[in-house]
Amino acid sequence: MTSPTPLPSRLFALDRAIRSAKPGLCAERALSVTRYFKGQNGERPMAIQKAEALCAILREKTVRIWPGELLVGNFTCHRVGGGLYPELHGVAMLEDLLAMDSRQINPLQVQPGDRRRLLAEVLPYWTTRMLAVRGRPVLEAARFVADQLSPTLSLINESGGISHFVPDYARLLAGGTDGIRAQAAERLEQVPKGSPEAAFLEAVRIACDGLDAFAERYRAEALRLAEQETDRIRAAELNRIAEVCARVPRHGARSFHEALQSMLFAQIALNLESLDNAVSPGRIDQLLWRYYEEALASGRLDQAGALELLGCFALKLCEIIPAFSRRLTRFHGGLFNGQVVVVGGLDRHGEDATNEVSYLCLELMDQLRTRQPNWHARLSKKSPERYRTRIAQALAKGAVSPALYNDEVIVPVVRSRSDSDSDARDYATVGCVEPVVAGKSFWSTDAALFNLPLCLELALNEGRRFGSRKRIGAATRPLESCQSIGEVIELFRVQLERAVDRLLLDLHAIEEQNLRWHPTPLTSALLDGCLASARDASAGGATYNGSGVQGVGAVEVGDSLAALEAVVFRDRKATLAQVVEACRGDFAKDPALRARLRAAPKFGNDDEFADRHVAGVMRLFSSALARGHSARGGSYQAGYYSVTAHQAFGEEVGALPSERAAKTPFSSGLTPASGCDRKGPTAALLSQAHLPLSEARNGINFNLQLAPWAVKGEPGTLWLRALVDGGFDAGCMQLQVNVLDPKLLIEARDNPGKFPGILVRVSGYSAYFDDLSPAIKQEIIDRTLHDAGIA
Amino acid sequence: MAEAGAQGLIYDIQRFSVHDGPGIRTTVFFKGCPLRCRWCQNPESLRPRPEIAFLADRCHESGDCLASCPLGAIAPGQERILRDRCDGCGQCLDACDWGALQSVGRFWTARVLAAEIARDEPFFRSSGGGATLSGGEPTFQLPFALELTRELRDRGIGVGLQTCGAFSWESFAPLLPLLDFVFFDLKHLDSEEHRRLTGSDNAALRDNARRLAASGARVTFRMPVVPGLNDGAESLAAVAGFLRELERPRLHLLAYHAMGEAKLARMGFPIPPLGLDFDHDQAVRCLEAAREILQHHGIEVTS
Repeated sequence: MTSPTPLPSRLFALDRAIRSAKPGLCAERALSVTRYFKGQNGERPMAIQKAEALCAILREKTVRIWPGELLVGNFTCHRVGGGLYPELHGVAMLEDLLAMDSRQINPLQVQPGDRRRLLAEVLPYWTTRMLAVRGRPVLEAARFVADQLSPTLSLINESGGISHFVPDYARLLAGGTDGIRAQAAERLEQVPKGSPEAAFLEAVRIACDGLDAFAERYRAEALRLAEQETDRIRAAELNRIAEVCARVPRHGARSFHEALQSMLFAQIALNLESLDNAVSPGRIDQLLWRYYEEALASGRLDQAGALELLGCFALKLCEIIPAFSRRLTRFHGGLFNGQVVVVGGLDRHGEDATNEVSYLCLELMDQLRTRQPNWHARLSKKSPERYRTRIAQALAKGAVSPALYNDEVIVPVVRSRSDSDSDARDYATVGCVEPVVAGKSFWSTDAALFNLPLCLELALNEGRRFGSRKRIGAATRPLESCQSIGEVIELFRVQLERAVDRLLLDLHAIEEQNLRWHPTPLTSALLDGCLASARDASAGGATYNGSGVQGVGAVEVGDSLAALEAVVFRDRKATLAQVVEACRGDFAKDPALRARLRAAPKFGNDDEFADRHVAGVMRLFSSALARGHSARGGSYQAGYYSVTAHQAFGEEVGALPSERAAKTPFSSGLTPASGCDRKGPTAALLSQAHLPLSEARNGINFNLQLAPWAVKGEPGTLWLRALVDGGFDAGCMQLQVNVLDPKLLIEARDNPGKFPGILVRVSGYSAYFDDLSPAIKQEIIDRTLHDAGIA
Repeated sequence: MAEAGAQGLIYDIQRFSVHDGPGIRTTVFFKGCPLRCRWCQNPESLRPRPEIAFLADRCHESGDCLASCPLGAIAPGQERILRDRCDGCGQCLDACDWGALQSVGRFWTARVLAAEIARDEPFFRSSGGGATLSGGEPTFQLPFALELTRELRDRGIGVGLQTCGAFSWESFAPLLPLLDFVFFDLKHLDSEEHRRLTGSDNAALRDNARRLAASGARVTFRMPVVPGLNDGAESLAAVAGFLRELERPRLHLLAYHAMGEAKLARMGFPIPPLGLDFDHDQAVRCLEAAREILQHHGIEVTS
């Protein structure tokens, strides 16, 4: 039952071509958008301009069908490439345009002509018009840009656009763009002429037309290639591709092939319209199940054929990478686009939804091991044995994907933000780990990242960072005056709330600008609620609205509070003043005190003494966020995944009472601090289960790093399965398994390029080890050495 | 040792133990052992009383510990703890910033210990695991072992036992039906050699092995392969003969590891160092040689 199905060789050929391609920077989108807006006088509604700009992008971009492809469409002009969004954050991205091809981490090829045109045509136009500075006084805009270029307290991702949603692909597959146009036309008759609603509905029609025209270009290209093709089999494939492109996305999809192609065209257009980040296809096994059954029954497709098409889809998602600047790469390392594809879990009626397409996806996760999509598997109490075992097999072999999501915890969490049980059960994840109601939510799940430990540093030091005289936080009283750990926590709360208030103010401004300058009609057409309300998603038109802010470093703050409580208030081995002085000096003069702090209880050991402090930090952060409301409507929700910001924020923070040294990384998401989970994986999982996860509504990531011996052979697969089942039974929300051999990683670190295929779990997503910064590489090696019992 | 209702002396609780029986287990290490095997891997388990371990590699010579002992049982130097004076009270632990002094052995009531073990119950359930009593020698505290096993079974947690077999059958009999399995460790079949290697006669052990096999209990016989001490062809043949006689012709071999040697100094040398200079690869080769001999004598060998 669970023996692996061999993958069609076509997939490995495509995979090789993609892996060997040098990633490039694509100027096409930036040039199209700039040309378009230069030709506008700004009098027509922005929604219509944006729809027309999208049409221009899709009309002007390069169309290429690569050898052996069954699904067609290009995100950029390169085999693997990233686009630029100059109207959003693209100007900031261009910061290191001159060095993009020679930089050490994530180099991007830039054609010389493109570089010149970007500098001459694109940059000057958008410098004063990009989203981050729109509608702000000059000085205020400069302050914001400077803050965001070297983030210390927080990073507002939304200043680069929103995205982060699961499109309503079920609607696209059922009725095509024809269906959407029909609904838009019907609503148009009901709204006043010349109203913003009318403009929005007109924009939807324009965007749908643009998407159809895009497909038509591929139909023509496929026919052209078919005529030239000497290989008859390939010629037949190309003719088939042309037929499919003639049909979708305009009409509803009738076959497995049409369904995937329809989604792919939309996927590309959505990435180009909104932002190339975390447009997540969602529950692919649910979307494709009826096509698969029908194809098998009619004999038009066999299992291998379906696997081949599905694999082509997964590989296509690897062709887009984010074109981040070096600064942003510190926070979002690893060439990660966050296109989550989910399998398994409950259906809308509460029954198990696992089907044969779920298993085909698991084969791809196990055998193809690509960076994208970001594969997730949902598990409920009703998930079948075969499914659980197949997942454990893949992970025990080192597959990295899927990351695992517990329906028993997450469905109630989504329910608390939605209107019905069936919507809650139909959640899918977005980006890194964030649960949303599929096709209905615009929850801007990655709105911002927030540096929690910096607030603790400010609390320790009367609102200043160590070594700085400038007060950037609240003027709280000296820490030494605290008589209990409760009073210390109160100082932290004051600093936290002040910093969160500042963040929410900036965030609100950005939301207003997104609303005004960055409507996304195609995105809105594929989000339930927008057509009915005749409002763009950026204006709160979707059924569910909200925003997610990530608390980074909650574990370090919790561990620090636990250490202060243990060493200062319980054991009375040091005073608060002594601990502060030790932190200020990065423990250089206080190694003995540091040893005491290190020995204090730490999160990740099933020890209530430490776990309750991490829980407390989570509650404080949730309450601080709950005081604001998004400009789109809906509330701010706390998430605890860190992308690679645990590294970047860590570099900004001094030594902490947890004994963490200055400028070193925090732990990823809610993972126990490196080397601090001393009681093994069961205790680490139970610590997670102790946290108030119902308050982590925007999701968490938790890395369960296992030594190779612990997952070896058949028993290892059983242990891994039992760890997952036991952890989820105990109430864990999420876990992602990484099985690593430290020797291999050290060799890969010392010989970049020698092992390009090593995929590691960073924080809520996977990346090739080679693509990571030296510091993140070292962090992963350290984690692995600890788990192997070597360090 | 311990009276019923009294407390048990435990020196370690290890979670996610996957080599001590089926599934994911929590292994409870009892302190106190009637044997003194020369290769003992856990010398901290030998003495049936709380002790203080001194980890010289962590010591920063601050001298903070010296004055902390009410019995004057701490003196400068490599040994640090004067074992004949120390009663293991643990008052010194707090004096050391560096954690160089550690308490080995803590008293638990069966109820509290069972609750502690039960923390991993979700994983026992998902893996078919449970608790394993190990040591030291669990039967050295038989009344406590019995009470703990009852507490665990009341909570639906299965219990296995690792033993050297040095117990009185009459006291052991009530425990046996409560156990899911027994790992029975053989050392050497020859009486004289056994006495030389473990400090104790093996007549009772052999007797207990026989009775255990005859009881129909799920017993796995195990044996450490200690190079040059118990892996000679003759002694292996004797082991094989004994197992065939019990109609249990299966043996699980454990490779020798010098880990115990490194811990001797910490505990003030409860046994003299063995001084075997074998690395892991050599130890594994010895195990493979022993496997061949045993298989030749009709024993099914696992490792």
